[in-house]
Amino acid sequence: MLFNSLHFLFFLPVVVFLYYVLAHKYRWILIFVASCYFYMAFVPQYILILFLIILIDYVSALTIEQVKGRLKLFYLVASLTANIALLAFFKYFGFLNDNLELVFRLFGEEYHRVNLNIILPIGLSFHTFQSMSYTIEVYRGNQKAETHLGYFANYVLFFPQMVAGPIERYATLGKELKETHRPLYKNFADGFKLILFGLFVKMTVADNLAPVVNEVYKDPLSHSPLQALTAMFAFSFQIYADFYGYSTIAVGAARMLGISIMDNFKTPYLAKSVTEFWNRWHISLSSWFREYLYISLGGNRVSLPRWSINIMIVFMVSGLWHGANWTFVVWGALHGLMLLLEKYFSKIFNFKIREGWSIFNALLCLKTFLITSFIWIFFRAENFDKAEQMIRAIFAVPLNFTLTHNMKVTGLLIVVMGLLDLFLYNSRFDLKINRSPVYLRWGLYAVLIFGLMALSGTQKYAFIYFQF
Amino acid sequence: MIKYISIRVFGLGVLLVLLNYLYVLFFYQRDLREKSDKILELRESQKKADILYFAESSNVNFRENDSIKLSISELTNLFFPKLKVIAVNNVASHAGIFKYWLNEIDLIKNKPKAIVVTLNLRSFDAAWRHSKLETPLRESLVLVEPYPPLFNRFLLALQAFDSKDETEREKEMLKEWKETQLHFPFEFKYKTVREWDGAMANGGHLNADGSWDIKKSELACHYIKAYAFNLNEHNPRVRDFDDIAAWANENKVNVYFNLLAENVEYADSLVGKELVFLMKQNRDFLMKRYNRNYCKVADNLDVVPGKEFTDQDWTTEHYGYRGRMYIARNLAAQLKTQFENEYQKAY
Repeated sequence: MLFNSLHFLFFLPVVVFLYYVLAHKYRWILIFVASCYFYMAFVPQYILILFLIILIDYVSALTIEQVKGRLKLFYLVASLTANIALLAFFKYFGFLNDNLELVFRLFGEEYHRVNLNIILPIGLSFHTFQSMSYTIEVYRGNQKAETHLGYFANYVLFFPQMVAGPIERYATLGKELKETHRPLYKNFADGFKLILFGLFVKMTVADNLAPVVNEVYKDPLSHSPLQALTAMFAFSFQIYADFYGYSTIAVGAARMLGISIMDNFKTPYLAKSVTEFWNRWHISLSSWFREYLYISLGGNRVSLPRWSINIMIVFMVSGLWHGANWTFVVWGALHGLMLLLEKYFSKIFNFKIREGWSIFNALLCLKTFLITSFIWIFFRAENFDKAEQMIRAIFAVPLNFTLTHNMKVTGLLIVVMGLLDLFLYNSRFDLKINRSPVYLRWGLYAVLIFGLMALSGTQKYAFIYFQF
Repeated sequence: MIKYISIRVFGLGVLLVLLNYLYVLFFYQRDLREKSDKILELRESQKKADILYFAESSNVNFRENDSIKLSISELTNLFFPKLKVIAVNNVASHAGIFKYWLNEIDLIKNKPKAIVVTLNLRSFDAAWRHSKLETPLRESLVLVEPYPPLFNRFLLALQAFDSKDETEREKEMLKEWKETQLHFPFEFKYKTVREWDGAMANGGHLNADGSWDIKKSELACHYIKAYAFNLNEHNPRVRDFDDIAAWANENKVNVYFNLLAENVEYADSLVGKELVFLMKQNRDFLMKRYNRNYCKVADNLDVVPGKEFTDQDWTTEHYGYRGRMYIARNLAAQLKTQFENEYQKAY
């Protein structure tokens, strides 16, 4: 079920109502049923994969907790292998085929391709990562294994965040799911505000930018440099608004049930460096990679060359996590490279970014935005040919400065998002708006409601991150 | 607490009313032009028309070498020079859309003397009902739903209408072809469209040398898929026409269903008498069902000879000028029962 659908706008109030009507001991059943229903609105049979993941990790964690010594590691590896194998089968099978075909061709051999026509289950990368974090935490002794299968299932299935995160840890979401929540006006009001804001960002900003981006990426070379540049910036804001919108709605929907889930974004385009960008963009995934891959590789307690290699590994794996295509790997690698350059630069020149606002810091923000926007090209392009065409289109001559309707729309939406980001800097919509004077609060409600209802895109686009 | 919440809910209500007003003032017309241009056209046309003519592409399709480039509605108008027949055409439209158009007629200010609605036999078939063109057609109606315009605009953004994608629609169509049983009052070996189509596709027509005549077989398959069905009250399109008939009776407006010509000649030569039987049986069903009260049916099913159809390798209701003239004359004969004094022989 999509958040930006009438279906969801009916579904959520019904679930919220039933949730508070039911006694606490039955609520987990409601959440379970509602989450299954939510997921099955996409491809019903794929719920079985989720059940399999739940079962594997539930049993593994209980076993890990009971056994000692090397057996602990054995069960952890078995559990992780099962999770990764499922992910690999559904997500990377085609990719593997493509690459094997390429390698065989390189050696003049014939490769017999196996076509299984697999459709990637929505949000599989999110479920597996969330579930894996639980078994790892149990292995590390930071988390007690859950004995109640229902609660554990809800941790993996919880509908507000099941298909595109935030990727939660059991220590937080598991606890939240078990707590007794009373119907509080503040939760309803804050949840409503967050959903309104999330829908505005997704439907008014992202969905209006989508056609601008799609048109240029379809055939970059038939567009002027200015149009290509506009599409590059438009995509930066499209993907941000799309994912930020989704995450905000997720936080809002959970809040209505009294459940707090983590924020996934903190005004990432106001980051002064690529390093800071990754502390502000898709925070739950960044922290997952930091905790479970980067630290496992040695973290920053290794030599500089080894650390550099680790950073590259983490970013390239992160790229591959996003999509089964080398363009995603390059996207990740470029981010890793930028991060290394920043580190080396600050080490050699003893350069430190100062806190607070200044013209210099604003220029640093602009630099980071330009870098990330350029790197997004590899994320958005279907293949390297398209990415190359896009880059050639941006740097083509002669320049044509004619402003098209699409450019004006993009400019306006970027300004809107920019202003919202400045307003929300280091905060969240509900927190910020609750502290604002009444005229500003209601003025902003009016703008958001009008933008959402009257000016949102008339074509529905699924959330970009659903494909991961 | 209740007072606190009530004030906020009231404030939200006032805000929505205000925003709706602003939307209507600044954006509604622009959105209508973009998404529902035919509705705007209808709102204008009804002010001038004596007879409104609702049609799909049959009314706007001409042959390149046609010596007379007049549409069916224009040719009909030749028989009633004192009246104004104004057409509102929308490609792939059908009764399911036309019935919503009727609600856009201001019966107090602009009550038309009569309305002609094309009754297209193919529009009852699974291929048309599950066509991908259904999505934009349904989309064009959202902004004129009977809710505040701002809410309608939000529904449009949420795609809160029949917006299934092409794959889903195709699945439904194939399911219908596979599962819906065909009924004949005589023994016939194929029980479903799929069986019949499958048999025809696998060598239904042979060349002189015994090889498959693929082109002819393919065309025959199109005819089977387009016309092999038994009409009954469960067909969604029949229910749409029922709604139109009910509207006509309720509002006392004469509605003429212009049953368009199909290429019965080719259906016979390509597929056989069984298909023609179904076409005629369905025609009889429609004639019987809709020739009553404020409704009349102009039966044109087999008035156009095969060669007068513009598309010779597809099933359409696109005619050369002679075909359009036959239909217009037939329709005019029906309209004459109401407009005896205005009637004048045109050709």
